[in-house]
Amino acid sequence: MLAGYGFVAPNFALLGLFVFVPLAGAVVISLQRTNGFGGGVFAGLDNYARLFADPLFWRSAGNTVLFTAIITPLSMGLGLLVALLLDSVLPARALFRSAIIVPMAVSGVATALAGRLIFDENSGVLDLALRGLGLPSVSWQSNGVASFASVVAVTVWWRVGFNMIVYLAGLQGIGVALKEAALLDGATAGQRLRFITVPLLGPTSFFLLIVNVIFSFSLFDIVFVMTGGGPADATSVLVTYAYDQGFVSRDQGYAAAIGVVLLLATLVFTAVQWRGNRGRDVTE
Amino acid sequence: MDSTDRRITRRHLLAGAGAAALPVLLAGCGFVPEQPASKKAGAGTLTFTTWGTDAELQGFRSAIASFQKANPGSKVTLNAVPYEQMFTNIDAQIQAGNPPDVFRVPYYTFGSYAGAGQLLDLSKALPSGFENRFTPQAWAAVQNERKPYGVPHHTDTSVILYNTAALADAGITSVPTKLEDAWTWEEFEAIAKRLRAAQPAEKYPFAYNWQGNGVTRWLSWLFEADGRFLQSDLVSPAIDSAAGRAAVEFTKSFFPQNLVPQNNSVKSATYAADTWYSQTAAMVFSGAFAIPDATANLQFEWGATFSPTRKRAGGDFGGNALVATTAAKDKADLVVAFFDHVTTASQMRDFCATASLLPTRRDLVENGIRFDVRPELAPVFVGQASTVKAVDSGQVASPSMAGIITVLKDQLDRAFIGGQSVDDTISGLSDGIAAATKQ
Repeated sequence: MLAGYGFVAPNFALLGLFVFVPLAGAVVISLQRTNGFGGGVFAGLDNYARLFADPLFWRSAGNTVLFTAIITPLSMGLGLLVALLLDSVLPARALFRSAIIVPMAVSGVATALAGRLIFDENSGVLDLALRGLGLPSVSWQSNGVASFASVVAVTVWWRVGFNMIVYLAGLQGIGVALKEAALLDGATAGQRLRFITVPLLGPTSFFLLIVNVIFSFSLFDIVFVMTGGGPADATSVLVTYAYDQGFVSRDQGYAAAIGVVLLLATLVFTAVQWRGNRGRDVTE
Repeated sequence: MDSTDRRITRRHLLAGAGAAALPVLLAGCGFVPEQPASKKAGAGTLTFTTWGTDAELQGFRSAIASFQKANPGSKVTLNAVPYEQMFTNIDAQIQAGNPPDVFRVPYYTFGSYAGAGQLLDLSKALPSGFENRFTPQAWAAVQNERKPYGVPHHTDTSVILYNTAALADAGITSVPTKLEDAWTWEEFEAIAKRLRAAQPAEKYPFAYNWQGNGVTRWLSWLFEADGRFLQSDLVSPAIDSAAGRAAVEFTKSFFPQNLVPQNNSVKSATYAADTWYSQTAAMVFSGAFAIPDATANLQFEWGATFSPTRKRAGGDFGGNALVATTAAKDKADLVVAFFDHVTTASQMRDFCATASLLPTRRDLVENGIRFDVRPELAPVFVGQASTVKAVDSGQVASPSMAGIITVLKDQLDRAFIGGQSVDDTISGLSDGIAAATKQ
């Protein structure tokens, strides 16, 4: 019994120190009116009341949900597709794997800076190429929809490698015998994918779903560097909005309230998914 | 508005690399007599945190060496940090109870610290008449509740930099060379439209430097229309006025007319200077700090002229103050001696000449200074800076400026490229400013 507690104690101590204590601190600050310096003044639920009446909070929350709804399936779908390709007999497989994984090693800020070079609507590579082909250029920085799309594109490019590598590990855990048996029974490639591979990747997909949603809810660096939340708030997400409130306006109580709401949303989503997927794991 | 922007481009980092050491300081200087320096500081150490280009940091090091020589036993420890970390570090150090004694701060950020009681009140420590060495607008920029909480170290303001060939191609061969001849808003718009007609679609007449915290530069249009954003109590919003509407309407009109690139809005990640450097825009509004960079890197001929006027000339009061934190309350004499030293005529002139920044001293403004690079442009910038009124810079020193900056960014971005009407923008600005000043 004591040995068990002994084994978990280091992890628990680190989690407590670096996660639970700051988390509790954030909750306390979210109940205060602050000006960035010194102790705040207790304000009850004022910051939360402000949130519900703040249109920019709702706009940012909506954008966050939309980003998540687009980026998560795209990242997972493309990750699975690439993993399936690289799990098959493919020439220069190692090279392709490396090429897809490399973005994972690049920081979000560097990725976003590269995105700026590509999507700058005056001198960006993409618009220059479009104009070179005689096509109309796209207002990647001043049109809300195009700007949103540019952030999605860069984020997906950045994330696909991670999804691919996790799916690849999942694929390599599926026994060859099962697929061979299905092949002998006359199952087509599509049927094998639908009835064997995808169900057996259930735990992997569940893990990736949760991780991708958490990543998307906490999207910051790509948006901050590429668009700053603009144009006209079209790409503002909850974390960039919280940053503006906390570090530009120095309204840290309000920023902490946004953070707490984001945490609660993530916890609720995870709990719902966890309950919904419990017992659904398929094993060979 | 200030030298903070130079942190952003690689060119800026390169530009200052060859800056020579500052020359030996000149005493007296032939200008109005120096105010008597404060008493000798005696022994003690000050910690001084700043960011800066190579030229600025060299200027600070030179000033510190001179101060230490003039005040045996005193020491100033310079801590140079990247701008990106500067104020998150300062805030964290203040929260932790371990701030530097002295730090450098943009005027539009000064009020946040002074209003929150984090800065040392210098009103009793400064020698009598100390404020007389500065211009009224500079002195107003370091006041909080009528007390000085710092010294105005230098300023900067925006003028129009133009690509000579691009203007010539549109038949524009002369620009105003005197402040009183500056283009009016209408004349400026006509010039921009001529450029629009003469240029291909992917080129633009001009770009404005209001990105990021530079959004305070939009206030120049408001001041030129003789407006204000805060009432004299520095709490009540004053933007809902004919001047406020004129400023929003005029600047909003740049976008549908394609007088500026569509990605020139206030929240854009593309800075106006880069748009001009790449010759996508024929003109750009820019501070003097860009001169060394532009001179070193641009391959085209360029010049400078004054910002346009409406009811009056105006400008943004950019630049930085030096402030002391309350942690230095036991070293007030040493702080004042240091501030006194770095704002002497010779020190300020050398710092500004090397770094292409504008002085805040009356005598240097009246007699002019000579930039080390493109000295012929100095009168344009000094002249433009003289149009800033104390009533303008005093508003920017509001303790609520951090919140007001966020309001300006949100509302102007929506007006410029979000299709928000002038009325809704004015209403949003007024409500937002009222909310920001209440917090």
